[in-house]
Amino acid sequence: MSTSDTRPDTTGAGTTGTGTGRGTPPADSRGGAPTPRSTSRPSGAGLATLALVARRVGTALLTVLLASFLVFFAVQALPGDVAQQLLGQDATPDAVAALRETLGLDQNVWARYGQWLLGASHGDFGVSLVSGAPVGPDLLIAFRNSMLIAVPAMLVGVTLSLTLGVIAGVRRGRPSDHAISLISLIVMSVPEFMVATILVLLFAVAIPVFPAVVLRGDSATVAELLPAVWLPVIVLTLAMAAYIVRTARSSTIDVMASEFVTTAELKGLTTRQVVWRHAVPSAMLPTLNVVALNVAWLLGGVVVVENVFNYPGMGKLMLESVFTRDLPTIQAIAVVSALVYVVCNLAADLIALALDPRLRTRRKARS
Amino acid sequence: MTPIVPEHRPENRDARGPSRRSVIAGAAGLAGLGLLTLAGCTPARSTPTIPEAAATGTAAQGGRLRIARPAASAAETLDSASSLSAYEYLGALYNRLVKLDEKGVTVPDLAEEWSASPDGVTWTFRLRRGVTFHDGRRFTAADAIYSIEHILDPDTASPQGEVLAAMIGPGSMSAPDPLTLRVELLTANAEFPSLLTAYQCYVIPEGSAGEIGTTGIGTGPFKLSSFEPAGTGSVEAFDDHFAGRPVLDGIDFYSIQDTTARVNALLAGQIDLISQTNLDFATAQVVSASSTATVARSANAQWYTIPMLHTSAEFSDPLVRQAMKLAYDPQAIVDTALQGTGSPGWDNPVPPTQAVWLDEQRAYDPDKAKALLKQAGREGFRTEIYTSSYESVFTPMAVAYRDQVKQAGIDLVVRNASSDSYYTQIWMQKPLMVSYWFTGRPIDQLLNQIFRTGSSYNESAWSNPTFDGLLDSARAEMDDDRRRMLYQDAQRVIVDDSADMTPMFGDRLVGLGRDVVNYREFGFEFDYLQIGLRA
Repeated sequence: MSTSDTRPDTTGAGTTGTGTGRGTPPADSRGGAPTPRSTSRPSGAGLATLALVARRVGTALLTVLLASFLVFFAVQALPGDVAQQLLGQDATPDAVAALRETLGLDQNVWARYGQWLLGASHGDFGVSLVSGAPVGPDLLIAFRNSMLIAVPAMLVGVTLSLTLGVIAGVRRGRPSDHAISLISLIVMSVPEFMVATILVLLFAVAIPVFPAVVLRGDSATVAELLPAVWLPVIVLTLAMAAYIVRTARSSTIDVMASEFVTTAELKGLTTRQVVWRHAVPSAMLPTLNVVALNVAWLLGGVVVVENVFNYPGMGKLMLESVFTRDLPTIQAIAVVSALVYVVCNLAADLIALALDPRLRTRRKARS
Repeated sequence: MTPIVPEHRPENRDARGPSRRSVIAGAAGLAGLGLLTLAGCTPARSTPTIPEAAATGTAAQGGRLRIARPAASAAETLDSASSLSAYEYLGALYNRLVKLDEKGVTVPDLAEEWSASPDGVTWTFRLRRGVTFHDGRRFTAADAIYSIEHILDPDTASPQGEVLAAMIGPGSMSAPDPLTLRVELLTANAEFPSLLTAYQCYVIPEGSAGEIGTTGIGTGPFKLSSFEPAGTGSVEAFDDHFAGRPVLDGIDFYSIQDTTARVNALLAGQIDLISQTNLDFATAQVVSASSTATVARSANAQWYTIPMLHTSAEFSDPLVRQAMKLAYDPQAIVDTALQGTGSPGWDNPVPPTQAVWLDEQRAYDPDKAKALLKQAGREGFRTEIYTSSYESVFTPMAVAYRDQVKQAGIDLVVRNASSDSYYTQIWMQKPLMVSYWFTGRPIDQLLNQIFRTGSSYNESAWSNPTFDGLLDSARAEMDDDRRRMLYQDAQRVIVDDSADMTPMFGDRLVGLGRDVVNYREFGFEFDYLQIGLRA
């Protein structure tokens, strides 16, 4: 049951790999994962941990590099000549050739990749083919705007869903569990644009408390965006929370059935103590990666939500760039998204490392 | 010859693929399904609760109108000659020498009257006196000449450039006095003034081509106060406009790329009008049922076509083309695909509201169609018809047409193609598909651009020497009545032989706030002077 709780694409895809199962509780978690504070570190393990962290960071960097490579060459392989697309079907061959030269499309593809990578490494993603303005500043504004809805959605979503998931897991089979599971299943099944539309109809049209769309587009300041962020935040929170609730619930159930929880109960701890001091930290481990992937998904998967609200974030920028074939912008967005994915997963891995000493010791034994 | 940009050129479009003058209904596919269901379970023409006409009445003097528009591209400009012009601003900021009225007749704008030499080569326009640009300069013939030269300049790459270049050479234009423009055409053209009604032909001040894209200085009823490509912009009433001050104090334009978002903004009262957007039928019903917004119609604004590729094996046969026409009843397609919000075309591309319209209805005879197919050796003709979610009416129209031609034993399979490559992969490539244009072209431009042999917008690749000859005769015929007869003869040839079917003209369903009065739009004309907010 617990495997069906995670999205197919979140199970392990894109992670740098810690060796534990993603989304599903690790089989060897039975038998008791110690709580963080009970960890006593053997001397010399510090250095090994450092090496492990270094290896993770190295893998992450390599992943980003690989992603940039794939992004660049996938974009090159897009159907249609860029110069032809920009000039239209009636353009003369001379004009197309001239534009190809201006864009540097006549140069060697590897040389262009090298130049682009060098520029990208310090934030210079080239110039937009459509507006002629540098991609970097526009992308930065779009990224900031996306963070403005992603960060609150993430904070509220993760807190809320972990709490609900643990409650459902602890009260397995009771009405509160059924209610939480049912609601999260429903929310999971309804597509985001539907939730968004319903919320707009409720809170912008029927009871006009929030604006339905952002009118000022890219030029909107943070202050102007603030009244408009609430509905997107709610949509994203709901979309994200449902998955985390399901995962948190199943891992809590697994942990609650384990021997060390039974031991804790037998030594007379209250249920509250058992749950929050012993069960939750262990249940967090498998949930962590689902959270990480969901956070990354927030930034990439907001396309629909941002378009419904005309919200000037990265998702909307991406859609527009794809339709106008603004290749430098598409590449920049893809690389930034890859970076966010990798960073989120790296963070998840490092937190898992901190929570679970077995991950460290196992690696040490092997190396 | 390269004509004005057809509305559905993908290179012009914003997010979502489609082009500048077109619109993508958000969930077009869904809407299409909805329509079919509706058509299936209710008698046709039953309950379209879409209002017939826009609200009229006394508007309050002043007020600001908020318009949501799909931006052309981040590279859009206020230079009307450009193919990337921000269309909605143009009519507010500028005037042309001449414009079209609702019947498609050329009427005065900045030119008060015009006349031609008997051979149709020398044209003299007398210009309006006392017209000022927004920066205070006087409008003279030099500005008119400069504006036309700007369109002709190859560097401008104006869609109307080649149309005019075929008639105007270097030194063709002169100004005998400051308010007279004289044009010596390279070849006679009795319809020359109508070619200056295109929305690329707005008049700008002499010497302003370099900065007109951002300054927007014209003679129009509003002057620019701010403009951001693909962003927001505002125009303010111009007190010294020659036709008087507009009713509104100003207009604010907002770019919203997503159709659903535009509709939501309208329903939430954040905007007053959605421009260049044909609401799908289901959405139009929701909007007209709401308390804040309603729907107005721009009658016959969408010209729907079913091109049969003349170069394909099956449709090069005139018998097959004729059978494809006789086999269906356009009224039935209007009733199902448009729910009655339009008028049948009977395969004549000229809308019935136009002065030159040929008032003859072809036969509807499925039995004859069957016989013709038999004669052509194609009994039980079977082929594919392509559609896409590019426009909300496409799929309902393809399905309605398929159902109609069944009576003649024609078996069509409806194929749905991706909307973002529809006009690059399917259009002018597949033997049978559905398409559309906006109406509003003058008759000469319409027939020459879309039906003449070899024109780059001839979407069916049809070629008929008799028809081409009629167009040439019409251009040389200076007598208005005799010219109209020639155009009607040309329409008759199209109905009988052409490879481009016109099942219908659809009303554009325009979403606007309940407070908006005196909204009036037809073809490429929008009445910016009278539109206002309810008193």
